[in-house]
Amino acid sequence: MFALVDCNNFFVSCERVFRPDLEGKAVVVLSNNDGCVVSRSNESKAMGIKMGVPFYQVKHFVDEGKLHAFSSNYALYGDLSSRVMSLLADAVPKIEIYSIDEAFLHLDGIDPETVPQLCADLVAKIRKWVGVPVSIGVAPTKTLAKIASHFAKKYKGYKGVCMMDTDAKRLKALELTPIDEVWGIGRRLAPKMLEKNVRTALDFVQRPCEWVASNFNINTVRTWEELRGRVCHEEEREERRKSICTSRSFADMIEDERELVLRVSDFAAMCAQKLREEGSAAYDVTTFMYTNRFRDDLAQYFPSVTIRLDVAANSAQEIVGAALKAFRTIFRQGYKYKKAGVIVSNIIASDAIQASIFDFDDELRQKHDRLSKVMDAVNSAAEASGSASGRSMLRLATQRPGHYADGIRSDFRSRLYSTSLDDIIEIH
Amino acid sequence: MKMEGFDEKGMVAENAPQQELPKMAQEGIHAGFPSPATDYMTQAIDLNKELVKHPAATFYGRVVGDSMIDAGVEEGDILVIDKSLEAQDGDMAVCFVDGEFTLKHLRFHEGGLTLVPANERYPSIEIGEGSDFMMWGVVTYVIKRIR
Repeated sequence: MFALVDCNNFFVSCERVFRPDLEGKAVVVLSNNDGCVVSRSNESKAMGIKMGVPFYQVKHFVDEGKLHAFSSNYALYGDLSSRVMSLLADAVPKIEIYSIDEAFLHLDGIDPETVPQLCADLVAKIRKWVGVPVSIGVAPTKTLAKIASHFAKKYKGYKGVCMMDTDAKRLKALELTPIDEVWGIGRRLAPKMLEKNVRTALDFVQRPCEWVASNFNINTVRTWEELRGRVCHEEEREERRKSICTSRSFADMIEDERELVLRVSDFAAMCAQKLREEGSAAYDVTTFMYTNRFRDDLAQYFPSVTIRLDVAANSAQEIVGAALKAFRTIFRQGYKYKKAGVIVSNIIASDAIQASIFDFDDELRQKHDRLSKVMDAVNSAAEASGSASGRSMLRLATQRPGHYADGIRSDFRSRLYSTSLDDIIEIH
Repeated sequence: MKMEGFDEKGMVAENAPQQELPKMAQEGIHAGFPSPATDYMTQAIDLNKELVKHPAATFYGRVVGDSMIDAGVEEGDILVIDKSLEAQDGDMAVCFVDGEFTLKHLRFHEGGLTLVPANERYPSIEIGEGSDFMMWGVVTYVIKRIR
């Protein structure tokens, strides 16, 4: 069993933690440079504001006092995200951080009877401790867990937790799920599905496997299998996984956080080096730690967290960064650690690296492609005219970590409430 | 096992030369030998550990104004706020009332809740049903800058 934990309208919810007056009001968060809408409260969705719409098209709502808009405040969202993830990592033995606002929990080994209560407790705890609302979908496969989480979010009656634990519930959910909302189908494949009269997820699973295989590729067959309840996503990854693991048992048990940070950084840097040596790059970075299980007298803890990168990486900077982010999510004071390690997996050839940040939205992705073309054109023109900056006249903000604040618009950015002492809330 | 300066039980022998006494023994702590306490001797006090019991739920706030002055809380003080704690009668808490964060003592009673300032120049606030009110977090520490 898998659970998908999804933070509701995450960026908007983060802003509301420090602006409780905005509960129940229409709020949006804008992309870098205040370009377009990337997160919407339910109220702004109800006003007809679409995901990815350019800000200038809805700015009149702000001027009329009907809408609150925020520039993105990634320091804040990142901090609240890691708080949520650490509470999840405390609750189950294995989590997979899928994005800034989503994580899969692996529930194998947990008594199924206790799962509903465990999930309900997590929803309440994250809401109280961090202040953001989450929805949890529980199902036999990841693709079904995604669908279950949609239901948990959409219908108040679930109180944030939807258990897809019987076949009847699975079929009912599939019947109510439009085909374009299925993870792995999306807007790209939806037109072809509709052409062939597949409108819902149920229509899709009722087609024979041969039909799917002859009309679509192997990934779509896997989606079909997952919707029928057979775990595929995991197996597929295991097969393809040529993973690289660097780990050590320590001569003495280590309790000190700084010491462990150094060890984990070394392991991650070694993994990155191996990736570069073989010309590959990895999407997943896992950090794990073990206490000494032969010492009955000591408290035991075997945490493991996987970070999914938006873009496959092989630089020491990125791999170490992700490994340490995972480490900070799971590290707890008061345990004596005997072993730690870093695993990089989901490996591809490094010449096949492509940005997948915009995969969730085809419109944004096309915009991104156009942007790349513009950048290439400007850069080659600059090169041709003999400009000193030559080929790198225009770069993506992410190509220069740490320097991207220059010249980027963020007229409506909220304060760094949780990451800068100068910006903490004022209390009267 | 017997070592110079120690008796069979690992205690400091009476005839041990004074300058060779381990520090622990000099300070009158009678631990066995080797002392399990030595494992902990390198850990300096970490205020993060002491002041922040629930890192995922802890936020900070700065005091503006003097509504809690009689409780020793002054303008500019930093509050450590733990959102994980269940509010109890008498707690000092950060509440959200009428569009702003406010610091008050909580007084629970049969009719509901009263937010009580620690300054007679400010009125108490009665929280009834339908009030626009939120208990945001319980204050666990107040940090003051002295110089």
